[in-house]
Amino acid sequence: MTQLILFNVMNGLIIGAFYALMAIGLSLIMSLSDVINFAHGGFLAVGAYLAYTMTPYIGFWGGLIVAPLLTAVLGLIVEKFLISRVYGRDPLYSLLLTFGLAFIFEDGTRYIWGAQSLPYQVPGWLMSPLSSSLFFLTGYRVFMIFLIVVVVGGLFFIMTRTRLGLRIRAGTLDLETVSVLGVNVRVLRNLNFGIGIYLAGLAGVLAAGQLGLQPTIGASLIMPSFVAIIIGGLGSLTGTLLGGLLIGVASGVTAVFLPSATEAVMYVMMAAVLLIRPQGLLGEEGRF
Amino acid sequence: MTKDGFTSRLDRRTLLKAGAVIGAAQIASPFVRVARAADTIKIGVDNPLTGTYAALGKNEGIGMAMAVDEINAKGGILGRQVELSIEDSTSGDASTAVAKARKLIDRDQVSFILGNINSALAQAIANVANEKSVFHVVPGGHTDSVTGSNCHWNTFRVCNTTQTEANAVAGAVIKNAGKKWYYLTPDYAFGHTLQAGMEKAAAALGGTKVGGDLTPLGTTDFSSYLIKAQAANPDAIIFLQQGDDGVNVLKQAVQFGLDKKTHLAGAQLELEVLLGLPPEARVGTWVFEWYWNQPNVPGVKEFVAEVRKRSGGHVPTARTWFGYASIHTCALAAAQANSLDAVKMARAMQGFKLPPEIALMPDGAYYRAGQNQLIPDLYVGHPQATGKDDPEDLFVVDQVVNGADVSPTLEETMCKQDWPA
Repeated sequence: MTQLILFNVMNGLIIGAFYALMAIGLSLIMSLSDVINFAHGGFLAVGAYLAYTMTPYIGFWGGLIVAPLLTAVLGLIVEKFLISRVYGRDPLYSLLLTFGLAFIFEDGTRYIWGAQSLPYQVPGWLMSPLSSSLFFLTGYRVFMIFLIVVVVGGLFFIMTRTRLGLRIRAGTLDLETVSVLGVNVRVLRNLNFGIGIYLAGLAGVLAAGQLGLQPTIGASLIMPSFVAIIIGGLGSLTGTLLGGLLIGVASGVTAVFLPSATEAVMYVMMAAVLLIRPQGLLGEEGRF
Repeated sequence: MTKDGFTSRLDRRTLLKAGAVIGAAQIASPFVRVARAADTIKIGVDNPLTGTYAALGKNEGIGMAMAVDEINAKGGILGRQVELSIEDSTSGDASTAVAKARKLIDRDQVSFILGNINSALAQAIANVANEKSVFHVVPGGHTDSVTGSNCHWNTFRVCNTTQTEANAVAGAVIKNAGKKWYYLTPDYAFGHTLQAGMEKAAAALGGTKVGGDLTPLGTTDFSSYLIKAQAANPDAIIFLQQGDDGVNVLKQAVQFGLDKKTHLAGAQLELEVLLGLPPEARVGTWVFEWYWNQPNVPGVKEFVAEVRKRSGGHVPTARTWFGYASIHTCALAAAQANSLDAVKMARAMQGFKLPPEIALMPDGAYYRAGQNQLIPDLYVGHPQATGKDDPEDLFVVDQVVNGADVSPTLEETMCKQDWPA
């Protein structure tokens, strides 16, 4: 039993890291632009399908690099021509816009690539478990964690050590002042959106390696990210990371005792956080 | 652009409302309807076009459209042309499926209603169809109750009951793997009855259950369940997930190397799932309800060729055949009764044997009287990683089982039809 729980904690950390990758992208956009990006899952699916399409030509690794970048470019375009038009209005506008986009992405992928699940393959040497007893630690999952650590580490570096990151963080706190100080807020929001969507695209490619590639892949993966943000606290990337890991472990451990409640436990945690600490674990006081 | 880009901060309430809207997104769905003429006979289709069963729904739709074309080419139903009224039931929301069924019956005035892939939705539609006395065919929702404890005189079913599938495959799984089984079961009507059916079928052959977990429909990550299943050290893990869930769970199980530690098996497997899996994950012992590569059965080759023309070169799956047989069932019922009266049509179909060019299986298929359940052949076998002569020939049939030999008796089904006076 102890071993089973231990396994599920480790496994939960892996799943949680993946939730965090999606949630951080979502959180970046939410914090700077006040846009709840419902279409995040749609971008995720587009990233995965692009990688699938490109793999025969540029291989798995090429797809892993190029597909998220192309997804980010799509994100920049969508932000420039659609999302940016609703900034400053009631959040309902951006909510409805991205909600509609989510449908367009899902039906668009179904139209282009079909409703049938597609077999996205990762290189054979990544496929097998590293050891017989820790069979859930496959080469692919270890690689995935490594990549998430590198990417999230890189993001934290950008946020804390570069001018762009400094401006994004400042804008999150007080966009008006940042604008008055001469920063082009439009470009800042555009780039920030692009970074968020890059993370969605990357999450899509990584997910497709473990799951069947389906038009609904984004919709089914995105909900835990919202929960992770609420638990971790809006405006705090560290909080979002923590939120993701927490729900991953919680649902993993729940699977040992009450398997049918693995999803419900996330929402129970969310409700508890909202009751006890509404701003989230590491959220800014007063933001909510 | 707005004048002021800085007001209107996002607050927690908005975020929570947003979460509720995501939930609503699962229910909302596109609205599809086919243009129609006044004097045609309408067949309402209330089946998933979106969600986890979208691919299955699409394939059933191909078979339905093909059958409609065949019927119209031969003069239609009772001399009138036939057309489909198609609605998206969603993959899992019963209230939407029921609302769509009522719309098809009340507003579109359909003479027949078809649906659903999801067992729970199939049962819900059956109840509406019964209330309205409309001839109803379930193409592909398997839970026992539809033609069992909750059967109706006007509901006919093409696909098998879960108990029949379980009875067909249980012996092969015990032979290939052993007697100790661990179940991973989708947590809704279909999964529950299929697991119960497998437990019953296994027990009759000395098999035992060493554990089992219910997984929510739409689960993407099955790793924690797989860890638990492996810890129970079973002879076989029985996967009862279907559609996209089935792809996800098998792909992960094979990535974890579980196919080398234990036997991976299940009851129903579909070609759609095999096509979505990488070659190395096409493993196990399963039952198909129809298979396209039946070289010795007359008519199958022509059927396959026609479906290929309509589906961009893809072969028919069991789903395509379900849709095809369902529409033909409607036309045959009207022809047999020489009427569109639901009671007369339902009476005419009691014990009715499908013509061989529609049954497309070695022993044929008939609707069992008193239950309205089609009794067809079942195909027990194993997947192959890659097709030899055709990339979609991914299943090897080891044994064709006559449904009459593995179906529960009429008494066992507990079906009691309440015919109108």
